[in-house]
Amino acid sequence: MSSGPLIVQSDKTLLLEIDHEQAAECRKAIAPFAELERSPEHVHTYRLTPLGLWNARAAGHDAEQVVDTLLTYSRYAVPHSLLVDVAETMARYGRLRLEKHPVHGLVLVSSDRPVLEEVLRAKKVAGMLGTRIDDDTVAVHGSERGNLKQALLKLGWPAEDFAGYVDGEAHPIALDESEWSLRDYQRDAAESFWHGGSGVVVLPCGAGKTLVGAAAMAHAQATTLILVTNTVSARQWKDELLRRTSLTEDEIGEYSGSVKEIRPVTIATYQVMTTKRGGVYRHLELLDARDWGLIVYDEVHLLPAPIFRITADLQARRRIGLTATLVREDGREGDVFSLIGPKRYDAPWKDIESQGWIAPADCVEVRVTLPTSERLAYATSEPEERYRLASCTHEKVQVVRDLVARHADQPTLVIGQYLDQLDELAEQLDAPMITGETPVKERQRLFDAFRSGEIGLLVVSKVANFSIDLPSAEVAIQVSGSFGSRQEEAQRLGRLLRPKDDGKTAHFYTIVSRDTVDADFAQNRQRFLAEQGYAYRIIDADDLTAQD
Amino acid sequence: MATGDDAGFRTLADQLRSWSDERLARLLTARPDLITPAPHDFGQLASRAAVRASISRALDTLTRLELSVLDAHVVAGQTTADDVRSIILAQPAAVDATLGRLIDLGLVWEARGGELRVLSGVSDAMGGGPGSSGLRARSADAPAPGDVEKRLAELSPQARAMLEHVVESGGEATGGSARLTVLPEDARTPAEELISRRLLLPRAGGDLLVAPGEVGLALRGGHTTTEPVDVLPPLATAERPTTLIDRTAAGAAFEFVRQVELLLDHWGSHPPAVLRSGGLGVRDLKAATTLLAVEEARAALVVEVAAVAGLLSSRADAEGATVWVPTDAFDSWVAEPPAQRWLTLTRAWLESRRLPALVGSRDAAGKTWNALAPELTSAAIPEARSGTLAALATLAPGQALAAGTGLPSLVEQVAWHRPRRPRSRTDHVAWTVSEAAALGVIGLDAISSYGRALVDGEDPVPLLADLLPDPVDHVLIQADLTAVAPGPLASGLAGQLQLVADVESRGGATVYRFTAGSVRRALDAGWSAAEIHRFLESVSRTPIPQPLTYLVDDTVRTFGTVRVGHAEAFLRADDESALSALVHLPQAHSLGLRQIAPTVLVSSVPVDVLLPRLRELGVAPVVEGVDGTVQILRPDVLRARTPRERGASVRSAHGAARVASVVTAIRAGDRAAAARPASPTTPLSPSGALAALREAVEARATVLVGYVDNQGVSSERVVDPRSLEGGSLIAYDHRADDVRSFAVHRITTVRPLPDDSPAAP
Repeated sequence: MSSGPLIVQSDKTLLLEIDHEQAAECRKAIAPFAELERSPEHVHTYRLTPLGLWNARAAGHDAEQVVDTLLTYSRYAVPHSLLVDVAETMARYGRLRLEKHPVHGLVLVSSDRPVLEEVLRAKKVAGMLGTRIDDDTVAVHGSERGNLKQALLKLGWPAEDFAGYVDGEAHPIALDESEWSLRDYQRDAAESFWHGGSGVVVLPCGAGKTLVGAAAMAHAQATTLILVTNTVSARQWKDELLRRTSLTEDEIGEYSGSVKEIRPVTIATYQVMTTKRGGVYRHLELLDARDWGLIVYDEVHLLPAPIFRITADLQARRRIGLTATLVREDGREGDVFSLIGPKRYDAPWKDIESQGWIAPADCVEVRVTLPTSERLAYATSEPEERYRLASCTHEKVQVVRDLVARHADQPTLVIGQYLDQLDELAEQLDAPMITGETPVKERQRLFDAFRSGEIGLLVVSKVANFSIDLPSAEVAIQVSGSFGSRQEEAQRLGRLLRPKDDGKTAHFYTIVSRDTVDADFAQNRQRFLAEQGYAYRIIDADDLTAQD
Repeated sequence: MATGDDAGFRTLADQLRSWSDERLARLLTARPDLITPAPHDFGQLASRAAVRASISRALDTLTRLELSVLDAHVVAGQTTADDVRSIILAQPAAVDATLGRLIDLGLVWEARGGELRVLSGVSDAMGGGPGSSGLRARSADAPAPGDVEKRLAELSPQARAMLEHVVESGGEATGGSARLTVLPEDARTPAEELISRRLLLPRAGGDLLVAPGEVGLALRGGHTTTEPVDVLPPLATAERPTTLIDRTAAGAAFEFVRQVELLLDHWGSHPPAVLRSGGLGVRDLKAATTLLAVEEARAALVVEVAAVAGLLSSRADAEGATVWVPTDAFDSWVAEPPAQRWLTLTRAWLESRRLPALVGSRDAAGKTWNALAPELTSAAIPEARSGTLAALATLAPGQALAAGTGLPSLVEQVAWHRPRRPRSRTDHVAWTVSEAAALGVIGLDAISSYGRALVDGEDPVPLLADLLPDPVDHVLIQADLTAVAPGPLASGLAGQLQLVADVESRGGATVYRFTAGSVRRALDAGWSAAEIHRFLESVSRTPIPQPLTYLVDDTVRTFGTVRVGHAEAFLRADDESALSALVHLPQAHSLGLRQIAPTVLVSSVPVDVLLPRLRELGVAPVVEGVDGTVQILRPDVLRARTPRERGASVRSAHGAARVASVVTAIRAGDRAAAARPASPTTPLSPSGALAALREAVEARATVLVGYVDNQGVSSERVVDPRSLEGGSLIAYDHRADDVRSFAVHRITTVRPLPDDSPAAP
């Protein structure tokens, strides 16, 4: 019996025993085609999905390689049906190709006529295809390139896109590596994106995704449109680009609610792009304002549906998606695959942490017990009110105070969902607060003050979830969240993971009310963290007090 | 085989009589239809062997080579082995061996004069089917081969083309206007050319022209076929590493065994209903596919194999409905090591007549076949399975069927071995290959080492056991509340873990997830928090993550409140005296029992302590649920009786014993017949008449038959029996000088004519 590190299960999960001596080698070998699902401390779980296998095909791996890898590293025999399934699934990719035809423009070419016939008869693609040119070729309406890819993926016959990209308007961009240098994995990520043409790079929060974007821009040497989640994040992108690249202030424009600049590198927010006025998306013309050579999607897992729609029209331009997790609460991973591109790079959080690029974190869940009166109120309340009641219990305030006191000399964030609760906390803790209502200028000032160490404690609402760089934060206390959202948990933890100067451990506290939906949701969120390898502890609020 | 002129036998019965018991037993084993019912004597045995239906069955078991040799023998007529050998395009040694086998099968026998004779029914039974060369029998006065060739050389190209066409299309042509008596010089048409040279012989007054066997032989270069007949069609193969083949196959084998266990275990407590038509409902099969996470065809195979292995059967449940449940054999099967379990399943599959592959397809009326439907059987499938595996086993280790071309070549080879098998063979072979892959007999389209042992009749278990994963005795518990068993768990451990945690993923390894619900289940089953902690510590090779410890304690906290109250436990029983006895038991003193009602006790110790102590005291406490009902820890699982169907090994042992006893019986019957005074005029029973007539047909003897005609007039006739078909005898009647048909039931006596009587013309 061989003693490989990998156990291949018949339900298409792969279990990788990471203490095995071949584990690292095996991880590298299976990463191109298997999705990392969980990476707790001993056994990592990967899953073979059609998307993952097609991703691998897109990256130039064939079924034989995949099968060979599985057989090489597998400890036990690999279920035959699984091997057959891998081969069949992978063979589905690339039977249809999108190509540029010298006469007919964009065409769909098939190497397998029955597949083409099947597709031509599918309702989903009706109207996207033009005339039949010959038995194996059919014209495609240029505007439907993205929609067609989306539809074909849903039909299970993903098309390989050979139609190429427009170069866009050239614009010199170089990385300015005089005071820093690109980390290896960032360089790898940018390279694999560039070779793939378009796609998504998955890196943990704090691992420097912005720099991967910048490196991609340096590859493209063309005008770039960057789509980010919000204005603060847009400013951070701008600062980072100014600091790390040859771009100057005049070359970078911001296109947001307040400023509308169009420059060779333009940073726009999702919000302004999706703002409707009189029933139309007024700002979509930004996409045509210049001949963009590259489009960067920050936090691609949050990409709103209208952006998907417009992205479908942008298939001729190179696209890079950046995210910490491909998990979408709405399950639209397939759209990301077909519209932005396959996953081009992925690294487990723990690997990057062990390389020292992100800070280690200590996650603790503190359980408070509701007083009898609140329990009664909770028990008799309407279901939709319960989460709010449970998560906003007054009991939490005392715990937060204890925790803040315990970490008095460390920069601390208190993060919550409900404004009433945050108001109360801010008042009790005598700390400044940032919510969606805080003017951008004020936000900027507070963040700057926090960064510089002027303020050691900040109460923030969910506006701080994303893309706000607060490298100095060492402690985060989460009092409420949006109903067990896994990616919110990841993002919040991500705030803490920027590496600390002295390699200090970050602390991430979640305060939940015992025996309520709050605890249930917390469990859901934490499962995600545990699966990312962040072991957490659960302690009772009473024990916490007792420890002090 | 006969040597020399004085050897040989007068009849087939004589030859059979001369055989050793062993040889007879071989014949009766190869042609089992001869002994049902047991024949009285050798005459009857020989007669039965010459019946067309029996010959047909015997032919079904022949290879293409054997059929070709038999066909050549039919073409050659009664002749010596050398002569037969000379007209077959095959290695002489192969032909000799084949002739030997045909004699063993009683299809050819050694007549007087060192010549061999084919049973007269063979030609008919073969028809134009596989192995037939399409040539007609040689004429009795066949000229020497050289002579025929000379005549052929004289033909015009048109005449030769015509002759070739006639020979290739069955050896018959209509005469038309051709003149029948014509000299070669006067021949005007190709047909006349052929007739004049006696290459086509007129029959039925010239309406029909036939090409005799010798002409066909000459046209085909002296042989019955132009292609060698002893060449086995080769298999299209590809190279595969043997270790990979074995590992893949063993993986499938392990998986299959696991799936059978999983499904039957589930059905033990959730039995699916038996359809009125006898099968398993489509919805239940769907549920099985979900449970096993496999496709429907695979689930159907699992169900069917479990049933033929005697692990699944039907019985009435508590409500009287008939349900599919595991048998009691399942319990002993589960206790066996995996390799042994695999063998049980695979043997049953090999011998089974079931057609699992048809499940889900539609019958002629458009009705979907259900799994376990009684109609889904085929008598031919066991042979197709063993034939297919045997063909695969002829490949050298490391040789696998080539992708694409491998399967058709396999079908062809299996067809060569049994050319007369039904047209559905292609399906049968393809099903066998896919089912054998699912069962792990073959892997990567090549037979595994242990599969080869199985085909060769050796014990595959040790070989397979080496390939199966070793059981592990530990799990890895992780902070995301999962536990991974990196291999099959040692017995007992799996069951305990399944109690404390839910199974999330199965296969070579098992992934368990701990939830509040699963921990509660363990508590329900009587575990205490301490026991759970201890168990987890003992099985985990890694430190227990804090969240899991917390989860267990947290669950116990809520569990306790519901079950026994905060500080005390209660004991309830209808038997008041038993409770009083317990209270007064000195050993129970530390339990702080107190009777608060005639049927209720409370205890001052926590349930954690109370339950084990009570058990020590010999009380079997049952835990009450929140609603006051007794919580049954594990519902009774249902078991049916193992069906009495015997395995083929048992059957074959029985078969061998039966064959031996039949041989003894025949000899005894034969001796009795010989000892009986000859009274030829005694009226014969119809079966006796049949036997005597068949013997005469085979011996080409002339007999005297007593016959009652339509008017009831009894007469005696001297006839040469030609054939026996459908209750009538076709014979040459010496008195009428013509071929006549006689109703067998009117024949009263059959007497051999003394040798000095006038012979047939």
